[in-house]
Amino acid sequence: MTARSRWILGATGVVGAGIVWVLVSLGDRPVTYDDIREHFKYGSIGSEPGISLLWPMGGVLPPYAVFTALPSICPEKLPGGYASLGFVFEPGHDLPIGVSRRHRLGIDHVGLNCAVCHTSTVRDREGATPRVVLGMPAAGLDLQNFLRFVTDCSLDNRLTAEAVLGHIRQMRDPPSMFERMAIRWFGLVNRIKLETLERRNRLAAFLDGRVPQWGRGRVDTFNPYKALQFNWRLDQLPHDELIGAADYPSLWNQKPREGMHLHWDGDNDSVDERNLSAALGAGVTPVTVDHAGLKRVRDWIWTLPPPAYPYPIDRALAARGAVLYRQHCLECHADHRFRDGIVEGRKVGTIEDIDAIGTDRHRLDSYTYVFAANQYALYPDSQYRFTHFRKTRGYANQPLDGIWLRAPYLHNGSVPTVRALLDAPGQRPKTFYRGNDVFDQQGLGFVSTEREAGGRVFFEYDTTVPGNSNSGHVYGTTLTPADKEGIVEYLKTF
Amino acid sequence: MKGYRAVVGVLLVLGVISGVFVYNHFFRTRTPVFASDEDHFLFGSIGTEDTDGIPYWLWLVLPRIFPEYLPSPGGYASLGVLSKEGNEMPVGFSKATIGYERVGTNCAVCHTASVRLRPDDPPMIVPAAPAHELAMPQYLRFLSACASDPRFTADTVLDEVAKNYRLPISDRLIFRFILIPSAKRNILRLTARYSWTHDRTEAGRGRVDLPNSAKFGLLRQPIGTTVGNADMPPVWNLSAHSGRSYLWDGSNTNLQEVVVSSAISAGSGTKWIDRDVTSLNRVQQYLSSVRPPAYPLPIDRPLAALGANLFERDCGSCHSPGGTRTGTVVPIAEVGTDPYRLAAWTPASAAAFNAYGSGHAWQFSHFRATTGYVAVSLDGLWLRAPYLHNGSVPTLEDLLNPPASRPSFFWRGYNVYDTHHVGFMTTGNEARREGTAFDTRQPGNSNAGHSYGTSLSPDDKRALIEYLKTL
Repeated sequence: MTARSRWILGATGVVGAGIVWVLVSLGDRPVTYDDIREHFKYGSIGSEPGISLLWPMGGVLPPYAVFTALPSICPEKLPGGYASLGFVFEPGHDLPIGVSRRHRLGIDHVGLNCAVCHTSTVRDREGATPRVVLGMPAAGLDLQNFLRFVTDCSLDNRLTAEAVLGHIRQMRDPPSMFERMAIRWFGLVNRIKLETLERRNRLAAFLDGRVPQWGRGRVDTFNPYKALQFNWRLDQLPHDELIGAADYPSLWNQKPREGMHLHWDGDNDSVDERNLSAALGAGVTPVTVDHAGLKRVRDWIWTLPPPAYPYPIDRALAARGAVLYRQHCLECHADHRFRDGIVEGRKVGTIEDIDAIGTDRHRLDSYTYVFAANQYALYPDSQYRFTHFRKTRGYANQPLDGIWLRAPYLHNGSVPTVRALLDAPGQRPKTFYRGNDVFDQQGLGFVSTEREAGGRVFFEYDTTVPGNSNSGHVYGTTLTPADKEGIVEYLKTF
Repeated sequence: MKGYRAVVGVLLVLGVISGVFVYNHFFRTRTPVFASDEDHFLFGSIGTEDTDGIPYWLWLVLPRIFPEYLPSPGGYASLGVLSKEGNEMPVGFSKATIGYERVGTNCAVCHTASVRLRPDDPPMIVPAAPAHELAMPQYLRFLSACASDPRFTADTVLDEVAKNYRLPISDRLIFRFILIPSAKRNILRLTARYSWTHDRTEAGRGRVDLPNSAKFGLLRQPIGTTVGNADMPPVWNLSAHSGRSYLWDGSNTNLQEVVVSSAISAGSGTKWIDRDVTSLNRVQQYLSSVRPPAYPLPIDRPLAALGANLFERDCGSCHSPGGTRTGTVVPIAEVGTDPYRLAAWTPASAAAFNAYGSGHAWQFSHFRATTGYVAVSLDGLWLRAPYLHNGSVPTLEDLLNPPASRPSFFWRGYNVYDTHHVGFMTTGNEARREGTAFDTRQPGNSNAGHSYGTSLSPDDKRALIEYLKTL
């Protein structure tokens, strides 16, 4: 081999390797799952950052290597790790349910998916094994403190390129060489800090305690959206508008919901548009959204049945309750056959005027006409552009399929159990604890009297805090205790 | 020789390719067509995109990049720009493709209002009503502030666009090197044309200074000290008003000319008007028959009947549809209202406007200067608050009080209706948050004059107002 041909061979090799490297690093590959349940739990809907190689956009989480390093970098900020915030970890997974992984533009990113807010656990009693229930409201998740932790620790002085590289050396599945180079030489960690700073500035109102705590199982759907999508300066909004925390809803059985007023205030009647809007909340942008990944979830929850009540039911009592339910509740809430797509009830899925229902109005007022006007420009110049959002003047009547898993009740989760909801507002608990996954078969809901259990501190819910009122929805509150027991028993069959 | 031919061939092919490229990216025109006349009025193009149009993607992201230059959170809506449910473009904003997508304004931006009975009602959108919420000067000031900001760069703008839409690389290059720099120049030139607004009374929400805009901008007359702020008028029911004097001072008597000159003032290109006025004709046709909405609350009919008699007796000659002076100019000395708007339009201005379209098919000939204000007919009066040409009197009740007892300071631009005084709410925190200040002591803002009916008894006033609700 002559010197010249060796030189040519070498150059070709370098160029070829360069091309391969560029192709690999530019690829957009989610970690995929054939099983739809696994896809729901861990699959990507596109909420990982993307768009630009040097300046990734979208998403709310730092890259995989940083995300998994944060709890050990700032241990005192999160002693129990992500699990203490209500994230559910399964054996064999280093990421919790609801966090997806995707290789995008050379970086191993993570993002939030539908399961983060729509999956939780249930236990029969303290000490029992938790059962993971897909599609139920994430009643234990403290999303606000999660965002606060990720923000604080990303900006902490201990988060440095060296610290992340040290963490990477211990990883079973370390990120690509490209990413390691980006961390070591191209300032990836500093850029993450800049992005985090910008996000913190936009969301300051929710991170610095200016608005009441969302607490476990609740999120303010639209206010962070105003800041993240439209860059509204939240401190200039009327303060009450920033109080919008509400419970996560269940995701199952969407098909019979199409055309009904969705979201607590009924602001949208299209399941698909509602899904895309929720995906924005998880961090997708109209550009980075993974429509195929989202559609798999959509098709699955379309007919996903609500889990059947696993504990004994007193059938005779339930039958008595069914009669009363028909009389007092069916018109607005349909009955146990909704799980089979049968909708009986004139007002199911329609909006009940705020003056008639009388529940806390903050969530309603947090969604404004001006905000809707801005939403119509989301997903611009595409078939997905939003057209269904409407400002309403009340709360939507929800079908009650799988209601046993949807505690606490009312849109703001201000009433711990179904039984308590059937008491007059003055008799409902004034404070209680949210986030315990031990089931209360008596009251129908979760145990709400324990302050902490198993190392997890629950959220003390105070109904006197603005946005947390347990007033209104007085239907059935004048029935006899025996009748109320009947209705509770019947609702177990939903 | 052979080589020469090959070179020519290659050049020819390149020429054709670049020609097609340039045509596609800068000239190919596509204007959306709307099925209903109302949507055409609200969102259709009247040819303003070509001259003053802003590239759509830039227009979309400016409020997200520069929220600090808007009066409050809410994007363009914070400027009183309205939105009709489900429509991407706000009311009065058209999107047309001339090579690239551009945003212009149309008649509806100044002639559509919204109204609510309670603060938590979704607003009702009323086409052809005066846009009492719109802060047009602030819109221009917003654009100007953006274009003057050092962050108004291709990098900033394209990064924000990238979050919303994947622009092809060719478009990104065009934006970077052509459209964003030229938009900056155009915006600064447009706002320089309005620099005269800085040293005189604020128009605020619901008003524009049409005479000065025409004189100083369009007609290139020397900048003077006049103040011409006036309310935007309703444009409904035009066929019922044919043959009247138009504009507050009656400075034109020909409807067609008023429509075309208003479009030109709004930014329609004269070449566009030469080419095709079917779009404007469709607007005019729609407006000729569209009716104001009825008063939304129950009316005390017997009381209104009493009021009708009083109206015929005291107001009819100037304001009833068949009144002898309805639609004619009442001398300023007689009506006694603020004279600034009248003084802003002079015989010289009229002559200049009549000469403006010289050589065009639509050339104007009916512009004139007058000596007073038109006694307008009062259809849809309940939605035309604040009252008088300069919007200096918040409610009908105030208008029936002697000038000295009318409010001297209030907030205008809030769309919740005050059914008690009949007009929009002009006091309170919300009105202050959403409105702009109106101070009647500023030049052009006087609430004097039009003292008709101010000496009626309280009962008669109540009856008269009840009747006025029915118009």
